[in-house]
Amino acid sequence: MAQVYFDDVQEGQDIPTLEKTPSRRTLVMWAGASGDFFELHYDKEFAQSLGNPDVLVHGRLEAAYLTQLLTDWVGEKGTVKKVSVQYRGNAFPGQKLLMKGKVTKKYQKDGENLVELEIFVENPEGKKITPGSAIVALPKK
Amino acid sequence: MTTDSRKFAKTQDEVKTYLGKKREETMEIDGTVIRAFCECIGDPNPMWKDTAPPGLVTTAMISSGAMLIGVPLLYKRSVAGGADWEFFKPIKKGDVIHTTHEFSALEEKSSDKGPRLLMVYKSSHKNQKGEVVAISTNTIMNF
Repeated sequence: MAQVYFDDVQEGQDIPTLEKTPSRRTLVMWAGASGDFFELHYDKEFAQSLGNPDVLVHGRLEAAYLTQLLTDWVGEKGTVKKVSVQYRGNAFPGQKLLMKGKVTKKYQKDGENLVELEIFVENPEGKKITPGSAIVALPKK
Repeated sequence: MTTDSRKFAKTQDEVKTYLGKKREETMEIDGTVIRAFCECIGDPNPMWKDTAPPGLVTTAMISSGAMLIGVPLLYKRSVAGGADWEFFKPIKKGDVIHTTHEFSALEEKSSDKGPRLLMVYKSSHKNQKGEVVAISTNTIMNF
Protein backbone atom coordinates (compact mmCIF):
# COMPACT_ATOMS: atom_id res chain seq x y z
CA MET A 1 0.00 0.00 0.00
CA ALA A 2 1.22 3.50 -0.80
CA GLN A 3 2.58 5.59 2.07
CA VAL A 4 0.04 8.08 3.43
CA TYR A 5 1.37 11.60 4.14
CA PHE A 6 0.21 14.18 6.69
CA ASP A 7 -0.21 16.72 3.85
CA ASP A 8 -2.86 14.58 2.15
CA VAL A 9 -4.97 13.79 5.21
CA GLN A 10 -8.20 15.68 5.78
CA GLU A 11 -10.37 15.95 8.87
CA GLY A 12 -13.53 13.90 8.37
CA GLN A 13 -11.78 11.46 6.05
CA ASP A 14 -12.44 7.72 6.45
CA ILE A 15 -9.48 5.36 6.46
CA PRO A 16 -9.63 1.94 4.69
CA THR A 17 -11.73 -0.60 6.58
CA LEU A 18 -10.12 -3.79 7.92
CA GLU A 19 -12.30 -6.88 7.86
CA LYS A 20 -11.88 -9.96 10.09
CA THR A 21 -13.99 -13.00 10.85
CA PRO A 22 -12.43 -14.57 13.93
CA SER A 23 -13.27 -18.29 14.26
CA ARG A 24 -13.15 -20.52 17.34
CA ARG A 25 -9.71 -21.54 16.11
CA THR A 26 -8.67 -17.85 16.08
CA LEU A 27 -9.80 -17.54 19.72
CA VAL A 28 -7.74 -20.57 20.73
CA MET A 29 -4.74 -19.14 18.85
CA TRP A 30 -5.27 -15.81 20.62
CA ALA A 31 -5.42 -17.56 23.99
CA GLY A 32 -2.06 -19.18 23.24
CA ALA A 33 -0.46 -16.16 21.61
CA SER A 34 -1.69 -13.69 24.22
CA GLY A 35 -1.68 -15.72 27.42
CA ASP A 36 -5.38 -15.17 28.15
CA PHE A 37 -6.73 -18.60 29.05
CA PHE A 38 -10.05 -17.46 30.52
CA GLU A 39 -12.59 -20.22 29.65
CA LEU A 40 -15.18 -17.62 28.60
CA HIS A 41 -13.39 -17.47 25.25
CA TYR A 42 -13.23 -21.18 24.26
CA ASP A 43 -15.52 -23.25 26.53
CA LYS A 44 -19.11 -22.83 25.35
CA GLU A 45 -20.62 -24.50 28.46
CA PHE A 46 -18.69 -22.14 30.70
CA ALA A 47 -19.73 -19.12 28.59
CA GLN A 48 -23.38 -20.25 28.77
CA SER A 49 -23.17 -20.71 32.54
CA LEU A 50 -22.46 -16.98 32.69
CA GLY A 51 -25.50 -16.21 30.55
CA ASN A 52 -23.83 -15.85 27.15
CA PRO A 53 -25.19 -17.58 24.03
CA ASP A 54 -21.70 -18.65 22.96
CA VAL A 55 -18.03 -18.03 23.70
CA LEU A 56 -16.99 -14.38 23.34
CA VAL A 57 -14.31 -12.88 21.14
CA HIS A 58 -11.59 -11.42 23.43
CA GLY A 59 -11.94 -7.64 23.69
CA ARG A 60 -8.15 -7.41 23.49
CA LEU A 61 -8.20 -9.26 20.16
CA GLU A 62 -10.53 -6.54 18.88
CA ALA A 63 -8.08 -3.96 20.23
CA ALA A 64 -5.27 -5.77 18.38
CA TYR A 65 -7.36 -5.65 15.17
CA LEU A 66 -7.89 -1.90 15.66
CA THR A 67 -4.14 -1.47 16.10
CA GLN A 68 -3.62 -3.34 12.82
CA LEU A 69 -6.19 -1.07 11.15
CA LEU A 70 -3.89 1.83 12.12
CA THR A 71 -0.52 0.24 11.31
CA ASP A 72 -1.89 -0.74 7.88
CA TRP A 73 -2.92 2.87 7.30
CA VAL A 74 0.14 4.75 8.65
CA GLY A 75 2.57 2.55 6.71
CA GLU A 76 6.26 2.10 7.24
CA LYS A 77 7.01 5.78 7.94
CA GLY A 78 4.11 6.41 10.30
CA THR A 79 3.75 5.42 13.94
CA VAL A 80 0.83 4.57 16.17
CA LYS A 81 1.13 6.66 19.35
CA LYS A 82 -2.01 5.86 21.29
CA VAL A 83 -5.06 3.60 21.12
CA SER A 84 -8.02 3.80 23.51
CA VAL A 85 -11.02 1.49 23.47
CA GLN A 86 -14.22 0.99 25.41
CA TYR A 87 -15.74 -2.47 25.50
CA ARG A 88 -19.47 -1.89 24.98
CA GLY A 89 -20.72 -5.10 23.35
CA ASN A 90 -19.77 -8.67 22.61
CA ALA A 91 -18.66 -10.35 19.41
CA PHE A 92 -19.03 -14.06 18.71
CA PRO A 93 -16.92 -16.43 16.59
CA GLY A 94 -17.97 -16.56 12.94
CA GLN A 95 -19.20 -12.96 12.90
CA LYS A 96 -17.71 -10.63 10.33
CA LEU A 97 -16.20 -7.65 12.16
CA LEU A 98 -15.38 -4.38 10.46
CA MET A 99 -12.65 -2.18 11.91
CA LYS A 100 -13.18 1.40 10.83
CA GLY A 101 -11.59 4.78 11.43
CA LYS A 102 -12.27 8.44 10.70
CA VAL A 103 -9.85 11.35 10.99
CA THR A 104 -11.12 13.81 13.61
CA LYS A 105 -8.19 16.23 13.89
CA LYS A 106 -4.76 16.94 12.43
CA TYR A 107 -2.13 19.18 14.01
CA GLN A 108 1.57 19.62 14.61
CA LYS A 109 3.04 19.38 18.08
CA ASP A 110 6.66 19.15 19.28
CA GLY A 111 7.82 18.63 15.71
CA GLU A 112 5.44 15.77 15.06
CA ASN A 113 2.61 15.61 12.53
CA LEU A 114 -0.23 14.15 14.54
CA VAL A 115 -3.58 12.82 13.42
CA GLU A 116 -6.40 11.91 15.78
CA LEU A 117 -8.98 9.37 14.76
CA GLU A 118 -12.24 7.94 15.93
CA ILE A 119 -11.94 4.16 15.60
CA PHE A 120 -14.41 1.36 16.24
CA VAL A 121 -15.31 -2.27 15.70
CA GLU A 122 -18.67 -2.74 13.96
CA ASN A 123 -20.59 -6.02 14.29
CA PRO A 124 -22.84 -7.56 11.57
CA GLU A 125 -25.85 -5.63 12.95
CA GLY A 126 -24.00 -2.39 12.32
CA LYS A 127 -23.47 -1.70 16.04
CA LYS A 128 -20.28 -0.07 17.28
CA ILE A 129 -19.37 -2.70 19.86
CA THR A 130 -15.88 -1.39 20.62
CA PRO A 131 -15.59 2.36 20.03
CA GLY A 132 -12.40 4.22 20.72
CA SER A 133 -9.90 6.80 19.60
CA ALA A 134 -6.32 6.88 18.42
CA ILE A 135 -3.40 9.20 17.78
CA VAL A 136 -0.89 8.49 15.02
CA ALA A 137 2.11 10.38 13.63
CA LEU A 138 2.57 10.65 9.87
CA PRO A 139 5.49 11.74 7.69
CA LYS A 140 5.36 15.02 5.78
CA LYS A 141 6.21 15.24 2.09
CA MET B 1 -18.35 -27.46 36.70
CA THR B 2 -17.28 -23.91 37.27
CA THR B 3 -15.31 -22.70 40.23
CA ASP B 4 -15.11 -19.20 41.53
CA SER B 5 -11.61 -18.46 42.71
CA ARG B 6 -12.15 -14.73 42.97
CA LYS B 7 -11.56 -12.87 46.21
CA PHE B 8 -14.19 -10.54 47.60
CA ALA B 9 -13.92 -7.58 49.96
CA LYS B 10 -16.60 -6.56 52.45
CA THR B 11 -16.22 -2.80 52.06
CA GLN B 12 -14.92 -0.30 49.56
CA ASP B 13 -12.34 0.80 52.13
CA GLU B 14 -10.93 -2.70 52.11
CA VAL B 15 -10.50 -2.51 48.30
CA LYS B 16 -8.86 0.92 48.79
CA THR B 17 -6.10 -0.55 50.93
CA TYR B 18 -4.83 -2.23 47.74
CA LEU B 19 -4.26 1.10 45.93
CA GLY B 20 -0.61 1.45 44.94
CA LYS B 21 0.06 -2.30 45.16
CA LYS B 22 2.42 -3.47 42.42
CA ARG B 23 3.49 -6.58 40.61
CA GLU B 24 6.40 -7.05 38.26
CA GLU B 25 6.96 -9.43 35.41
CA THR B 26 9.42 -9.99 32.61
CA MET B 27 8.93 -11.29 29.12
CA GLU B 28 11.42 -12.06 26.37
CA ILE B 29 10.23 -11.12 22.90
CA ASP B 30 11.57 -13.63 20.43
CA GLY B 31 10.67 -14.30 16.80
CA THR B 32 8.19 -17.00 17.83
CA VAL B 33 6.18 -14.58 19.99
CA ILE B 34 6.00 -12.04 17.16
CA ARG B 35 5.10 -14.69 14.57
CA ALA B 36 2.40 -16.33 16.74
CA PHE B 37 0.81 -12.92 17.31
CA CYS B 38 0.84 -11.96 13.61
CA GLU B 39 -0.48 -15.35 12.50
CA CYS B 40 -3.29 -15.16 15.01
CA ILE B 41 -4.58 -11.73 14.05
CA GLY B 42 -3.79 -12.32 10.37
CA ASP B 43 -1.29 -9.49 9.89
CA PRO B 44 1.05 -10.38 7.00
CA ASN B 45 2.83 -6.97 7.03
CA PRO B 46 6.54 -7.63 6.26
CA MET B 47 7.49 -4.85 8.73
CA TRP B 48 6.89 -7.32 11.58
CA LYS B 49 10.02 -9.36 11.28
CA ASP B 50 12.52 -7.76 13.61
CA THR B 51 10.00 -5.32 15.05
CA ALA B 52 6.87 -6.35 16.95
CA PRO B 53 3.58 -4.77 15.89
CA PRO B 54 2.37 -2.32 18.56
CA GLY B 55 -0.71 -4.52 19.01
CA LEU B 56 1.51 -7.04 20.81
CA VAL B 57 1.23 -4.81 23.89
CA THR B 58 -2.54 -5.46 23.97
CA THR B 59 -1.96 -9.13 24.79
CA ALA B 60 -2.76 -10.47 28.22
CA MET B 61 0.77 -11.65 28.89
CA ILE B 62 2.09 -8.15 28.45
CA SER B 63 -0.61 -5.89 29.78
CA SER B 64 -3.04 -7.89 31.87
CA GLY B 65 -0.83 -9.42 34.54
CA ALA B 66 -2.17 -6.63 36.73
CA MET B 67 -5.06 -8.90 37.64
CA LEU B 68 -2.57 -11.06 39.51
CA ILE B 69 -2.03 -8.26 42.03
CA GLY B 70 -5.02 -9.90 43.69
CA VAL B 71 -7.22 -6.89 44.40
CA PRO B 72 -10.52 -8.19 45.82
CA LEU B 73 -13.81 -7.33 44.13
CA LEU B 74 -16.67 -5.69 45.97
CA TYR B 75 -19.56 -6.81 43.76
CA LYS B 76 -20.30 -10.12 42.02
CA ARG B 77 -19.95 -9.16 38.38
CA SER B 78 -16.97 -7.64 36.63
CA VAL B 79 -16.15 -6.87 33.01
CA ALA B 80 -13.34 -5.10 31.21
CA GLY B 81 -14.68 -1.58 30.70
CA GLY B 82 -11.96 -0.19 28.51
CA ALA B 83 -8.27 0.16 27.95
CA ASP B 84 -5.71 2.44 26.49
CA TRP B 85 -2.22 1.92 25.24
CA GLU B 86 0.44 4.55 24.65
CA PHE B 87 3.33 3.45 22.45
CA PHE B 88 6.63 5.28 22.93
CA LYS B 89 9.18 3.05 21.23
CA PRO B 90 8.93 -0.03 19.03
CA ILE B 91 9.52 -3.39 20.66
CA LYS B 92 12.28 -5.24 18.81
CA LYS B 93 12.95 -8.93 18.46
CA GLY B 94 15.28 -9.91 21.30
CA ASP B 95 14.01 -7.23 23.69
CA VAL B 96 13.33 -8.17 27.29
CA ILE B 97 10.25 -6.32 28.50
CA HIS B 98 9.96 -5.58 32.22
CA THR B 99 6.47 -4.62 33.23
CA THR B 100 5.37 -2.99 36.46
CA HIS B 101 1.63 -3.29 37.04
CA GLU B 102 -0.03 -1.06 39.61
CA PHE B 103 -3.55 -0.87 40.99
CA SER B 104 -3.66 2.88 40.43
CA ALA B 105 -7.18 4.22 40.97
CA LEU B 106 -10.59 3.38 42.31
CA GLU B 107 -13.68 5.32 41.29
CA GLU B 108 -17.18 5.04 42.64
CA LYS B 109 -19.64 5.22 39.72
CA SER B 110 -22.91 4.22 41.30
CA SER B 111 -26.10 5.24 39.52
CA ASP B 112 -29.79 4.35 39.50
CA LYS B 113 -28.70 1.09 37.83
CA GLY B 114 -26.98 0.15 41.08
CA PRO B 115 -23.61 0.37 42.73
CA ARG B 116 -20.57 0.24 40.51
CA LEU B 117 -16.81 0.54 40.98
CA LEU B 118 -14.22 1.36 38.36
CA MET B 119 -10.87 -0.25 39.12
CA VAL B 120 -7.97 1.19 37.15
CA TYR B 121 -4.71 -0.66 36.57
CA LYS B 122 -1.66 0.98 35.03
CA SER B 123 1.18 -1.04 33.55
CA SER B 124 4.47 0.45 32.49
CA HIS B 125 6.60 -1.56 30.07
CA LYS B 126 10.37 -0.99 29.86
CA ASN B 127 12.94 -2.65 27.62
CA GLN B 128 16.33 -4.00 28.74
CA LYS B 129 17.85 -0.51 28.30
CA GLY B 130 15.36 0.93 30.78
CA GLU B 131 13.45 2.82 28.09
CA VAL B 132 9.68 2.99 28.54
CA VAL B 133 8.30 1.37 25.38
CA ALA B 134 4.61 1.52 26.30
CA ILE B 135 2.10 2.27 29.05
CA SER B 136 -1.15 0.32 29.32
CA THR B 137 -4.19 1.36 31.32
CA ASN B 138 -6.98 -1.14 31.93
CA THR B 139 -10.28 -0.36 33.60
CA ILE B 140 -12.38 -3.08 35.18
CA MET B 141 -16.02 -2.41 35.93
CA ASN B 142 -17.25 -4.17 39.06
CA PHE B 143 -20.99 -4.10 39.68
